[in-house]
Amino acid sequence: MMALTTPYLWYTTRATGMVALILFTLVVALGTLVSNRIGGTFVGRFEVNELHRSASIVAIIFLVLHILTTVIDSYVPTGWISIVVPFTSSYRRVGVAIGAISFDLILAVWISSLLKVRVKNESWRFIHWFSWLAFAGAIAHAYLSGTDAKNSAGLLVVAACTLTVLLAGLWRYFGRPTRAAGRTALSPLAASKGAKAHGVVSGKVPTRATSPSSFPRASSPRSQKKRRK
Amino acid sequence: MGIRKRTGGFLLRVNPILCDGFGHCHELAPELVNMDEWGYPIITNEPTPLSNLGALESARYAVRGCPRQALRLERVSDL
Amino acid sequence: MIADQLPRLLDGTPGTPRTLAQHEAAFATTTKVTSHLAELEASGLTGRGGAGFPTAKKARLLREQRGHHKVVVVNAMEGEPASHKDSTLLNTNPHLVLDGAEILASIVGASEVVLCVARDNPAVVNNVKQAVHERQRRSSRGVTFTLQTPPWRYVAGEESALVHWLNDNQSLPQYRPQRPTILKLDRHPVLVDNAETCANVALIGRFGASWFRSLGTNESPGSTLVSVTGAVTRPTVLEVVLGTPLRTILDTVGAPAQPQAVLLGGYGGSWLHARDLNTPFDNQSLRPVGASVGAGVIVVLGHETCGILETQRVVKWMANESARQCGPCAFGLPALSDDLLQLSHGSRDQKSTLTRLRDRCGVIEGRGACHHPDGVVRFVRSALDVFADDVNRHVAGNPCHGSRATKHFATVPRLEHEKELVWE
Repeated sequence: MMALTTPYLWYTTRATGMVALILFTLVVALGTLVSNRIGGTFVGRFEVNELHRSASIVAIIFLVLHILTTVIDSYVPTGWISIVVPFTSSYRRVGVAIGAISFDLILAVWISSLLKVRVKNESWRFIHWFSWLAFAGAIAHAYLSGTDAKNSAGLLVVAACTLTVLLAGLWRYFGRPTRAAGRTALSPLAASKGAKAHGVVSGKVPTRATSPSSFPRASSPRSQKKRRK
Repeated sequence: MGIRKRTGGFLLRVNPILCDGFGHCHELAPELVNMDEWGYPIITNEPTPLSNLGALESARYAVRGCPRQALRLERVSDL
Repeated sequence: MIADQLPRLLDGTPGTPRTLAQHEAAFATTTKVTSHLAELEASGLTGRGGAGFPTAKKARLLREQRGHHKVVVVNAMEGEPASHKDSTLLNTNPHLVLDGAEILASIVGASEVVLCVARDNPAVVNNVKQAVHERQRRSSRGVTFTLQTPPWRYVAGEESALVHWLNDNQSLPQYRPQRPTILKLDRHPVLVDNAETCANVALIGRFGASWFRSLGTNESPGSTLVSVTGAVTRPTVLEVVLGTPLRTILDTVGAPAQPQAVLLGGYGGSWLHARDLNTPFDNQSLRPVGASVGAGVIVVLGHETCGILETQRVVKWMANESARQCGPCAFGLPALSDDLLQLSHGSRDQKSTLTRLRDRCGVIEGRGACHHPDGVVRFVRSALDVFADDVNRHVAGNPCHGSRATKHFATVPRLEHEKELVWE
């Protein structure tokens, strides 16, 4: 472990870092889709949510690989502590520090989400807002301490990710459903193909969800997902 | 895995203040949750027997999937 | 001296609050009552804020809670626009209310009493301030009195909203799935009681349960304050014995012999048919005809206006008063108001409007955190019942002459900018 270094560790660090950035871009984009209530007709809203959650797990895996390969590699003098404590690395001090801060924020978001059932929802939301800051930190980290961000291909990736998240952020705000407008309106199941309208569409509103037979389970996205298992 | 027979039932309960009309519960548990014209859940008032494993699983998914964590599963001791 | 007959609560000069000295002179502080809680339980007093929950039960529940700094909150917010009884009571006999609060504090083990009066009513605020000041100069049981003045909203008088305001400066009703839920003020258990309830507690604490029960009916003992407005010679706050026929109350205030209908309880209450006006004014008698005493609100509707239109104006205001925390209330109540407006205009396609209105009532009911939408639904349903003939005419395309009326009976503040009526 003392002097473990091989160029492949270094390549892995760079590669996993870039992949993690792309994946987190996807995660943030999916998050805005959830918040703006996309889905219901062809894709279930819960599916977008699940995709967001699954993508975040994959992104974190790549992030962890990125961190581990950096720390294990003795080519760059970063210690274990600098993963979470900023400004303790002698290599690319500021860049790695920002990366550490971003990782701390991502850890907080992830752990609060694991405990989502147990924490107060307003606390969870408060922490979750910091994911935008974490992404900004990731961009800064990629630019300041990333080897590949200086060459054209890497810069393109970083720029594309930045642009995507920027647009997602703008849409998150300007495209958000307003309360007054009524956000969700019709039942997604009623509007999807094959499902019978429960009368919500026509204005005849059922008073209570009573017998199971009144809800066609056969064609809902949820039951289709179940059958595939 | 054996299935223990449980008596009683469960009720899905929503906190109407936390609920923001995302509609995930209606997609995940359509046999228990209907939707009003404004996108808010109408949840069945009658307890569902625990032996209805499909409904129980749907309910669990709904509780987990709610973006505002507005749903709770309540145990009803006897039906 | 408080006699065996009325007035009990409004003993004094309405509008001129009794000073502490006058109160003590009229009231004499010695009492034969040893256990206040037992006396309260024997009296059968129920809450006068609208819900009618047994006061002794509530007090006992709070008494059993652990805590060294419990608080008693006197709710004089009077969210109902057509209700003026609490302000009249505080303008006449504030020390009676304070006495009752002190007794409740001693029952539950509280050392602090918080009086909540809407800040939009400076006269009442001043009177209460004065009374509290007099109290502080001569503190008896070691209870501290504080005055708080939340802004007036309909839901600000709801007890969980009131406590939330005291905690967080926002009058937002809370979700309480398990009743009873103890409300907390900074983690201290709090007992919330209406001002009139507290005044009754003081009377029971002084004269005993059997004296209290000497008036009223078996299930609804005692007297209560009612605010009568609408088609009357003068809007009044009266103290009435529970069980008095409603007709008698109306005759006292000069209501017409045959009004179109009467609204009972509050804006979340119910309309009463003109044919049911001989019903005794107590919950047991009113329940079979679909009404309740509620917050003691009585609004008399004359024939010059359309019942549907009056209902719609109230519902529109009530929709605006929603805290908008819950979807069914925030969206549903405005939808009810729109449907009622369509119905009152007598345009085409009324049958589907009526069906949609009824369906929406069923959908909205019971799905809010508090009972604000439930009250509105009850109100609308009672309107569809009591004004059924009118409704049928509107559906058939012949709106009644009253639908173009300019004179209205139910005061709807803020939205209509009407002048406040003057109270006795």
